[in-house]
Amino acid sequence: MKKTLYIFTNGQFHRKDNTIYFETEQGEKRFIPVEDTGEIMIFGEVDINKRFLEFLSQKEIILHYFSHYGYYMGSFYPREHLNSGYMILRQAEHYIDENKRLSIARLLVEGAGKNILRVLKYYKARDKKVDNSIVTIETLLGTIATCNDIPSLMAIEGNMREAYYKAFDEIIELPDFIFENRTRRPPKNYLNTLISFGNSLLYTICLGEIYRTHLDPRIGFLHTTNFRRFTLNLDIAEIFKPLIVDRVIFSLLGRKMITTDDFERGSEGILMKDRAKRCFIEQMEEKLKTTIKHREIGRAVSYRRLIRLELYKLEKHLMGEKVYEPFIATW
Amino acid sequence: MSDADIGVGGTLVWYYYICLRQVWLISHQITPDADDGNLILGRFIGETSYNREKKELAIGSSKMDVYHFNNGEMVVGEVKKSSKYNQSARMQLAFYLKELHKRGIQARGELRFPQEKKKEEVILDEDTLAEIERVERDILRLVYLQQPPPPVKNRFCKKCAYSEFCWS
Ligand code: SF4
Repeated sequence: MKKTLYIFTNGQFHRKDNTIYFETEQGEKRFIPVEDTGEIMIFGEVDINKRFLEFLSQKEIILHYFSHYGYYMGSFYPREHLNSGYMILRQAEHYIDENKRLSIARLLVEGAGKNILRVLKYYKARDKKVDNSIVTIETLLGTIATCNDIPSLMAIEGNMREAYYKAFDEIIELPDFIFENRTRRPPKNYLNTLISFGNSLLYTICLGEIYRTHLDPRIGFLHTTNFRRFTLNLDIAEIFKPLIVDRVIFSLLGRKMITTDDFERGSEGILMKDRAKRCFIEQMEEKLKTTIKHREIGRAVSYRRLIRLELYKLEKHLMGEKVYEPFIATW
Repeated sequence: MSDADIGVGGTLVWYYYICLRQVWLISHQITPDADDGNLILGRFIGETSYNREKKELAIGSSKMDVYHFNNGEMVVGEVKKSSKYNQSARMQLAFYLKELHKRGIQARGELRFPQEKKKEEVILDEDTLAEIERVERDILRLVYLQQPPPPVKNRFCKKCAYSEFCWS
C-alpha cells in the first residue's frame, strides 16, 4: 500500500525530470519516492509550482494542506483516474432521490452510533461510569428509523456525539483535559484541539481512499452536497471516528504521550506544537496499520483497508446489488 | 451506450471464461485500483517477452500481441502469463482468428506461455466458431443487465483484483 508523506518543515517542492524533492529553508534536500507515495500532507509553510502539481497529477498523488493551527485547509485532488459514468449516475441518483438518500444517511448515523456504543461499552467493562451516555445513545439510535429528513438525522447524530463526549471526562480522568463543550474553529481547550486535529486527519485519509474508487467525493449523503466541498469523506469518517481518532486520543493521553506542555496559546486559540502533531500522526498511522480478521475476505485487513471496503460496500449499494451495512467493531 | 462502445472485444471474451461478474464490471468501467500487483504483472509480461518479433496488429477493438508469417501462412500469437487461464486464452485467440477471417485473412493461432516455455496451437474450426458466436451474444446480454451477476466464489477469486470489491 502507498505511503503518506508528512511535511512539517518550511521549504519548497521541486520537480527535477522524473523525480521530486523537498528542499528545506536550510537547503537540505530530501527526495520523494513517487511510486510509493499516495498522498502528501503539508503542515509547514511550503512553496509549490505548477510543474510540481503536474507531476503529482501524473503520479496520482493527492496533496492536503493544513493551517498553522493544524486545521485542514484544502486538497489538490488530481483528476480522477478511475472513472465510471455508470457509477457517477448511480451516486447522483441516490443523492437526488430523497428516500434513497435518507436510507443511506440513516445507515451512516446508525453505524456511527453503534461504534460509539462499542467504545463506551469497552470502558464500562473497565468500571468507568459511562452508563448515562450509553442509555442516551441507545435511545437516540432507536429513533433513527422514524426520522424522515436529513436535518433531524443530523440532529440525532449531533446529540449522540454530545452524549458521547460527556463520557470523555470519565474515560480520560485528567483535569487538564476536561471536555466542557465541543468547540471547533478555533477549539477552546486542549481536548477539543486534539479532536479537531484527529478528525481532520481522518477526513483526508478517507478522501485518499475515495480517490482510489469510482465515487465522487463531492456527493455526500448525510452531509449536504454543494459541489464546492468534499463531503463523502465526512460521511465515511463518521463510521471510523470512534474507532480510530477517539481511541488514539485516549491512548495518547492515557500513556501521557501528550501533555499540556505540548500546546501553546495563539491569537486564534489553542494550538498543538509540532512534536504533539507528529506524535498524534505516528499513533494514527499505527492504528491504521492494525489489522483485524475479515471473515468474508478470508484474511487480515488493516483499518485503512476497512475504509476502502466501506466505499466498495457503498458502491454496491448504489448499484442496487447489496444494501450497505456499515462496519461495526465487534470487540 | 452503442454496441461499438461496448466492443465485445478480446478482453471480454477472455473474462467470460473466468467470471461473468467480471465481464459486467469491466464493461461498466468499474475497474479495480491499478496498484494491484496481479494486473501490473500481466502488463509487464506482455510488454517484455518476445520483444524481437513483437508487432501489434489492431483489428476492430482487438489488439493482437505478435504475428509473423510462416511459409506464407499468418500466425497470430497471444502471450499469456500462465496456462492456468488456458480456456480463456484459447477462446480469446479464437475470437481474434474469427475477426481476421471476417476480413478475409486466413490465420492460425499460437498461444505462448513464456514463463512456462510452452506453445499451443489454436485453429478456427466450425465448433469453435459456433462457440465464439454464442459467447458474443451472451456477453451482450450480460452487459445490458441492470445489475452485475452476483459474486460466486470460484478458483479465480483469490487472485482477482476485484476480490475485495466482491467480498466486502
Ligand atoms: S472476485 Fe471472484 S466473483 Fe468477483 S469478479 Fe473476481 S472472480 Fe468474479
